[in-house]
Amino acid sequence: MKRQPTPSPPRLATKLFEWYCGNASVEDLRGDLEELFYSNLESGSFKRAQLKYWQQVLSLLPSYALKKRKRRPGFNPASRSPSPILTHGMVHHYLIVAFRNLRRNGTNSFINITGLSISLACCMLLLLYTKDETTYDRFHEKKDELYQLTVNRVEQSGNGKKFAMAAMIQGPSFKREIPEIEEYVRVRNQQLTIKKANDIFIETVSWVDGNFFSVFTFPLIAGNPKTVLSDIHSIVLSEETARNYFGSIDVMGHTLDIEVDGRFETFSVSGIARNCPQNSSIKFSMVLPFHYMDEVHPDNGWHWVSFPTYFLLQSKANVLAVSSKMARVYETQAKQEIDEMKIMGYGDKFIWGLQPFPTMHLNTEFEGTPEASDPIYAYILSGIALFILIIACINFINLTVAQSIKRGKEIGIRKVIGGQRTQLIGQFLGESFTLCFVAFVLAILLAQSTLPFFNDLANKKLSLSYLLDWKLVTGIIGLLIVTGFAAGFYPALVLSGFNPVTALYNRATSSGKNYLAQSLVVIQFAFAAFLIISTLFIYSQFNFLTKMDLGYNDRNLIEITVGKAIMSKPFSHLLKTGFSNVPGVEVVAPRNVGRFSGPTHANEREIMAVYEHVDEDYLPALQIPLAAGRNFSKDFPADSIHSVMVNESFVKEAGWTDPVGKTVDFMNIPGWGNKKITVVGVVKDYHFESLKEKIKPEVFTYEPKLPLGKFLVRINRFDIPKTLKSLEDTYRKVLPYDPFQYSFKDELNYNAYRTEARWKLIITISSILTIFISCIGLFGLTALSTERRTKEIGIRKILGASATQIVALISQDFVRLILIGFVIATPLVWFAIHAWLQSFAYRVNMELWIFAFAGLLAMLVALLTIGVQALKSALTNPVNSLRSE
Amino acid sequence: MKGYIGEFEELVLLTITSLGDHAYGVAVKEDIEKRSNRRISLGALHSTITRLEEKGLIKSWLGEPTRERGGRRKRFFEITYQGKVALHHVKELRDDLWKLSKATLSLAK
Repeated sequence: MKRQPTPSPPRLATKLFEWYCGNASVEDLRGDLEELFYSNLESGSFKRAQLKYWQQVLSLLPSYALKKRKRRPGFNPASRSPSPILTHGMVHHYLIVAFRNLRRNGTNSFINITGLSISLACCMLLLLYTKDETTYDRFHEKKDELYQLTVNRVEQSGNGKKFAMAAMIQGPSFKREIPEIEEYVRVRNQQLTIKKANDIFIETVSWVDGNFFSVFTFPLIAGNPKTVLSDIHSIVLSEETARNYFGSIDVMGHTLDIEVDGRFETFSVSGIARNCPQNSSIKFSMVLPFHYMDEVHPDNGWHWVSFPTYFLLQSKANVLAVSSKMARVYETQAKQEIDEMKIMGYGDKFIWGLQPFPTMHLNTEFEGTPEASDPIYAYILSGIALFILIIACINFINLTVAQSIKRGKEIGIRKVIGGQRTQLIGQFLGESFTLCFVAFVLAILLAQSTLPFFNDLANKKLSLSYLLDWKLVTGIIGLLIVTGFAAGFYPALVLSGFNPVTALYNRATSSGKNYLAQSLVVIQFAFAAFLIISTLFIYSQFNFLTKMDLGYNDRNLIEITVGKAIMSKPFSHLLKTGFSNVPGVEVVAPRNVGRFSGPTHANEREIMAVYEHVDEDYLPALQIPLAAGRNFSKDFPADSIHSVMVNESFVKEAGWTDPVGKTVDFMNIPGWGNKKITVVGVVKDYHFESLKEKIKPEVFTYEPKLPLGKFLVRINRFDIPKTLKSLEDTYRKVLPYDPFQYSFKDELNYNAYRTEARWKLIITISSILTIFISCIGLFGLTALSTERRTKEIGIRKILGASATQIVALISQDFVRLILIGFVIATPLVWFAIHAWLQSFAYRVNMELWIFAFAGLLAMLVALLTIGVQALKSALTNPVNSLRSE
Repeated sequence: MKGYIGEFEELVLLTITSLGDHAYGVAVKEDIEKRSNRRISLGALHSTITRLEEKGLIKSWLGEPTRERGGRRKRFFEITYQGKVALHHVKELRDDLWKLSKATLSLAK
């Protein structure tokens, strides 16, 4: 016997009605239908009740009541106002909820916002830097036709040295012979003394060809760009210089006295130029006509290259064709000079080339390009900023997801009372965008306040307003949107997908293995370990460079370079005597200014040796010991012509065992005499150059023909300012119009590592930042993990676990991840540091203990971060954590 | 035309008023059917109710779910002030006409 089923309304009709109504709210109508069905069932047969049900359904389907309710899904006749998704009330409510959440998770919110704003600020500054670097020289209207003349000087050995420099003759000669070259501009910077009334200034002036202002886009405020430099005594000032000298820019026709070749000449202002943009390779403050140089110092030499020359080519000229034409012009016009050089023993080949003007800034291949910078800086800095941004973003995602697990109930309730998924997504995205926006505002403030420091670091004059062009503004807004989206989208999708039943009844927990969080910790700490190890190595190398025994004493040693003395021997004699008489001065040692080397024959080998022209006081002044033999001495009058000293490297290269008394074939140049000179002493090797260079073979000569323009003055350490003042007075007596320029040798040595010092600072700052951001991420994750395990910890404590055990329990997961990160970082950093150290001739060893130390340091910081949280939870009274559900 | 309501609308309004706290769909339907001895469909009734609500003559709210009707809530109706004014209008109109036509309308013979 079949069981009679409970009579119910016809299912097909119900289905039809439900389908037709869709998501209109018809609960009351369905109630009415069902009530009628059961009352019909009482008064009549089942069939009849079913029929009537059908009738009612069919009467409702086309009715106005249903049409109206369908037109507005969620129509609620009880309230007369429609309810769109975002009403004022809802927004208010969302804001309140978001704010309460932020406050409840104070630490985490702080972490999120700080991390994001720091990394955004980093990105902004880096964007600034990169923009500046990549837009260098792009503002010239003729930038595509502008080229810089380069030269590759190839020695006989095959080694090439590349310069972006030329002498005076290349510009005019090449232009005359090569039709593709439309214009040439020579730019020669020189430090000159300037007199205005009775004030003396030292200024770097630029001698440029007359077409300078029409070839380059440097707008003039006053003056005609075509004719501004046509007078030989004209001068163009930049706005800033004009203000500095005259306090106004309305100074056309005013005059300045400039010392050229020992006499003051009057130049009158013929134009005022706008200040050079920050992103210009060519920067000038005073511009003087080059044809003054042409007249005063005509020079037809091809090989003494010292300043850049720029060419304006015809549009679409073939650069390679021009280069080969230049080679031909050089070979014919410089033939005599080339032959003469060959006789003197210089067989270097000069290969001329052209470098596109806009690309020259980010190219350090050619020595002499003004303001050239290594693009690796931009790459590494952008890489660091990007990484910091990514870490902060992932931190944000991670923390928001983990935090919102606690909001499971809220999401459940929202879904039960009819919150749509789109509403939830909107809510969470809205929250993350709001946070992003707050972080963004903070980031701008942060970037603005750290800008001076950053400018110092980057050696630039940037300002945030520089970012105000539509591309970068879109870029930054894009960055903000992507960050907000990346940070908010995942939580918004995951959370809104929660089943309300799960969310409300079973406590929703993140799955035991949170791979995202774990891999994040690994990546963060790998990066942190990388930077810590790099920092330690850079510090130890830097320490090594600056603290290493140079082979001479650079303390209390002053270096004074005197331009005049290069030209005239009597000056150097006068100055040496004058300086020696100053109280506080111990020894004065004049020497040659430059550092040049040439082929020297010894022991039947050719040695490229550096010539040092010194006198008998040089070694005592620098406190360089002798390895063998004796110093030059006045007691041996023949020393000046017949004796040299060599250094240990020279001896080694010559292959001598007993060098004193051997002869060298020194300075194989006609005019100097092709003479054999006896070695009287061997000087211990000392580092006169930076430690990036190996010590080269050196020959010390007493030869009186060479000029002495540099004075190394050893002073005692008492009352240094007074000694300096007396030195200056002495100098003034001899050379009243020349600037007295001195520097301390130890400072000079230190400054040789300016790049390294800057790297040290950059890497230190970035590792601190990375550690900071990694740690706040770790801090947040620990906080969440201890919070999730509050009950577990409580129960463990009741069962007798000690605080140490609990701290260990919480820490061990993270410690493992940090170790993995460290293991990943070690080989990478090994390669990077190894490559970096190769640029130094003298370097520290890659000691293992540094790696171990860095690992311990990272671990210590991480453990401290975790420990604070872990200890807090371990010390909580279990009653508190277990009492309430 | 404002304020004037149709015959069926008047009937529904008056029924809702007479049912007091128990005025919901089925109750209104059955009351009207019982008194006026005519069959009305749920569709027609709810259409009229919707229109009345749009005109602001009644208001409605959902009650508490009960064991009846599969736990579905009832929608209860209540006359508003405007509803009362509208009823008074109709009544006055009728009363005036009644007064005017007293003699001929008398059922007495």
